[in-house]
Amino acid sequence: MLLELKNIFKWVNSGGQRVFLLKDINLKVDEGDFISIMGPSGSGKSTLLNVMGMLDGFNEGEYNFLEQSVHTLKEKKRATLYKEYIGFVFQSYHLLDELTVQENLEMPLLYKKFKGSERKAMVADMLDRFNIVGKKDLFPAQLSGGQQQLVGVARALIANPKLILADEPTGNLNSNQSEEIMQLFQQLNKEGVTIIQVTHSEKNAQYGKRIIQLLDGRMV
Amino acid sequence: MFKNYLKIAFRSLKKQAFFTFLNTFGLAIGMAGGLLVALYVYDELTFDTMFTDAHRIYRVDADIKFGGAEMHSAENAPPMAAVLKNDLPEVENAVRIRDVGSVLIKKSESTDNTKEEKVAYADASFFDMFGLTLLEGDAKSALEEPNTMVLSKATALKYFGTRKVVGETLVLNNKEVYTVTGIVEDLPKKSFLRTHKIFLAMAGNEASKEEIWGSLNYFTFIKLIPTAHESTIKKHLEGILDKYMLPWAQKYFPGMNKESFLASGNYVRYYTIPLTDIHLYSNRDTELSANSTIQNVYILSFIGLFLILLATVNFMNLSTAYSLKRAKEVGIRKTLGSNRGHLMVQFLTESGLVTFIAMLFAVAFAFFALPFFNSMAGREIIFPFTKPFFWIILVAMSLILGLLTGSYPAFFMSQFLPIKSLKGGSNTSEGGSKVRNTLVVFQFAISVFLIVSTLVVFKQLKFIQAKDVGFSKDQVLVVKDAYAAGDKLQTFKQKVANLGSVKSVAVSSFMPTPSARGNSSFFEQGSMAQEHAIQMQKWKVDEDYLQTLNMKLIAGRNFNAARISDSTAVIVNEATLANLGVSAEQALGKRITEDVDSENPVFYDVIGVVKNFHFKSLRENIEPLGLFMQPSRGSVAVKLEASNFTATIGAIQNIWQKVAPGQPFNYAFLDDEFNRTYEAEQRLGKIFITFTILSILIACLGLFGLAAFNAEKRTKEIGVRKVLGATVSQISYRLTVDFLKLVMVGILFSLPVAWFAMNRWLLDFSYRINIGWQVFVLAAAIALAVAIITVSYQSIKAALSNPVKSLKTE
Repeated sequence: MLLELKNIFKWVNSGGQRVFLLKDINLKVDEGDFISIMGPSGSGKSTLLNVMGMLDGFNEGEYNFLEQSVHTLKEKKRATLYKEYIGFVFQSYHLLDELTVQENLEMPLLYKKFKGSERKAMVADMLDRFNIVGKKDLFPAQLSGGQQQLVGVARALIANPKLILADEPTGNLNSNQSEEIMQLFQQLNKEGVTIIQVTHSEKNAQYGKRIIQLLDGRMV
Repeated sequence: MFKNYLKIAFRSLKKQAFFTFLNTFGLAIGMAGGLLVALYVYDELTFDTMFTDAHRIYRVDADIKFGGAEMHSAENAPPMAAVLKNDLPEVENAVRIRDVGSVLIKKSESTDNTKEEKVAYADASFFDMFGLTLLEGDAKSALEEPNTMVLSKATALKYFGTRKVVGETLVLNNKEVYTVTGIVEDLPKKSFLRTHKIFLAMAGNEASKEEIWGSLNYFTFIKLIPTAHESTIKKHLEGILDKYMLPWAQKYFPGMNKESFLASGNYVRYYTIPLTDIHLYSNRDTELSANSTIQNVYILSFIGLFLILLATVNFMNLSTAYSLKRAKEVGIRKTLGSNRGHLMVQFLTESGLVTFIAMLFAVAFAFFALPFFNSMAGREIIFPFTKPFFWIILVAMSLILGLLTGSYPAFFMSQFLPIKSLKGGSNTSEGGSKVRNTLVVFQFAISVFLIVSTLVVFKQLKFIQAKDVGFSKDQVLVVKDAYAAGDKLQTFKQKVANLGSVKSVAVSSFMPTPSARGNSSFFEQGSMAQEHAIQMQKWKVDEDYLQTLNMKLIAGRNFNAARISDSTAVIVNEATLANLGVSAEQALGKRITEDVDSENPVFYDVIGVVKNFHFKSLRENIEPLGLFMQPSRGSVAVKLEASNFTATIGAIQNIWQKVAPGQPFNYAFLDDEFNRTYEAEQRLGKIFITFTILSILIACLGLFGLAAFNAEKRTKEIGVRKVLGATVSQISYRLTVDFLKLVMVGILFSLPVAWFAMNRWLLDFSYRINIGWQVFVLAAAIALAVAIITVSYQSIKAALSNPVKSLKTE
């Protein structure tokens, strides 16, 4: 088992009232899973993803990731944990505009203190695998949305995470580009990467092995 | 990793070119100002340190009060040097320098005299003691014989065209023949001897051999042995009064003992001052060369620090403001595994880079500004390019400044929360904007402080120039060194007076501008005790003096050359009345003398009282002064008609050359001489105005950047307001007024501080202005106007933008 959420509650206080963002979420994710989270706007999909990605906290409940109880971990430990095992893919790609494709790919490796030669090999490998060798010296603004997201996925994968969290990865893409990214995800999943994606699209959700529906912070 | 930081730093700086420009330029200006000030301060602090064993050399000063006269002298009695050297084993050497003032010099075969200003007698071991090597001749023996002289290299070249002139002769004042025995390298610019060019052997100065403790004419320098301490000298100096001075004084004042001497409030105190302190801490009645004050060093240091501080604040302000644009980057980096440490290092790298670039620009700016700064500050500072020390300081400074300027933005940005900053993160700006506002307030507080200071300095200067100084200084030409005309001086005076464009001519020993002159003790007939002495200036004038300088008599009459008795008459100034204890009318007929110990004293009858006039700087009070109708050879004052000065001066010069062929014709206008008295204030004024402009410029760069940022941040708000019907002026008013509030707060903070500080400065002047509320209103208005201009450009630009565009991009 990769991760487990038990009775997760998250709320904010707004105007003296407690507004629940997540209500009693229970979820087990095994290695090799491919989960699609669906639900209308404001239903808590992104919040749930952020909680699982340890970018956001929660108010009540338990969260175990690879046998470690995340809710008791110190901030720093938690950061090392997600850096090690989780890769993020964002709707608006979030590539660094000032860096080239190659440099964007290299960045997570820098933070993980890989040696220069290793980094070069890993980046080259990834460029090869995603067929973007020819674009390695271009800046994000010179790429199409689909290509940018391709780089985004490549960047998320480069440090060999166990889990990929994707927040509407195709939200800004047209249907052809979406298709491509989804097939890529499917392929990765077959190779053993666990994927959890948030999506609005029924079609894309179908790529997942499991679909979770959220409504007003609750799983339905 | 570091390479990556540098890379992203370069690229993001390039991307935000406008912001980078503001930041670098502001910082460079501030640092250039700071650099100039640092060079100046270093220059000031290292005066006289180039002499061998400078730290072991001291000057012996004297404070003497005797018969109502107080002297704070840098010079000492002729025997002092020998006494210290003989009495104390700790004193390794002692030398004296006696300024001769100006001297006419010519080559033996020539008839053309040249005037040399800085000529001094010096003891034989003078060069040895100060470690000055001679280019020609022997330093140890050069000044042993009477009528030998050592010239500076430049002087030798001037007279002979070569420095190989040992054995050549020069004629001084048309009679004394001196043999050149040595050539010394031109004296260091940063030394108390910087203006001295000619040294004469002390052996030829008869007065230097006399055992007189009452006259102070010899600058006395002692060098201690390495193990000695200044305090041992101090003790001995306290004993000089008993051991030497009183025994000497009793010859002239029989019966005077220590008790009676001290009882009448008299004192004699000797001090030592380290050679290296003279330039900044000594302000005695006469100095070998004009000194600076530590106060100036402080003032400039503060201004320099202010400038750097302003620039730093600017940098922090702009960086934090623009950092919000980079919130996304922080978020991405954090999700990709960066921790706060990484981000801090990254942003510090960026600020370090900007600081370094700014430092390069600052060096360039400072280099090009140095000549102007030098002329402003009256210094000859050279850019120390060749000294490794200088570069080490520069690099260290840019590192420190980089850390300082980068630390807040780095701290501020690295704490962004990844999710929030990825979503847009404008909510993180709240804390930052408070800090930014505080910094803007601070900047304007400093700028307004400097504006007030500048205004006050200039107001005081204007006050000085416009003040009724008791004489008319306009259209008065002063022909100096009248003694060069010898016995033809009266002929010269007559001929000049006969010129149609000349109103009147007067020959006198002194003009009412500061110069080296001492007091003499005078006694009123009937109260001749020492304690009743009146310390007066004694000026020799002629009957045309009052008229030429337009001085007013408030009682009595002017001299009359036809009355023989007027040769023993005196006209006193108002300030003397207090000492005489009478009114102006009552003073007439009083008799005073300076011959207290003579059998047949010469008494002078007071025939007039002249209205007080300022003959020293306005920093000082007017002291008692007496005008005596006696022949003098100091200078000739010529009052001109208000027409064609050039022609008149030409005519006067012609007369001079006929009357005194071969003698130098030196002249100046009295008002120029007068203004020269306030050179220090004028310099301060110029320095203030320059640095004030710089500080305002820096503050404005910051404000401009913030306004631009603010307008950008509020694009959506502006768009919505416009769609809802707000006019351009309403929007620009809204955007501008927020900043003006901050500027106002800054003004309110700084005005009381400025008021206090400038009142302290004015205390130095005996005659000074009231600061007055107008200065503060003006300063505030200037600051506000500048701020409005700076901000409104951005505000109007933002207000004019098309709302459809701005809303679409949101």
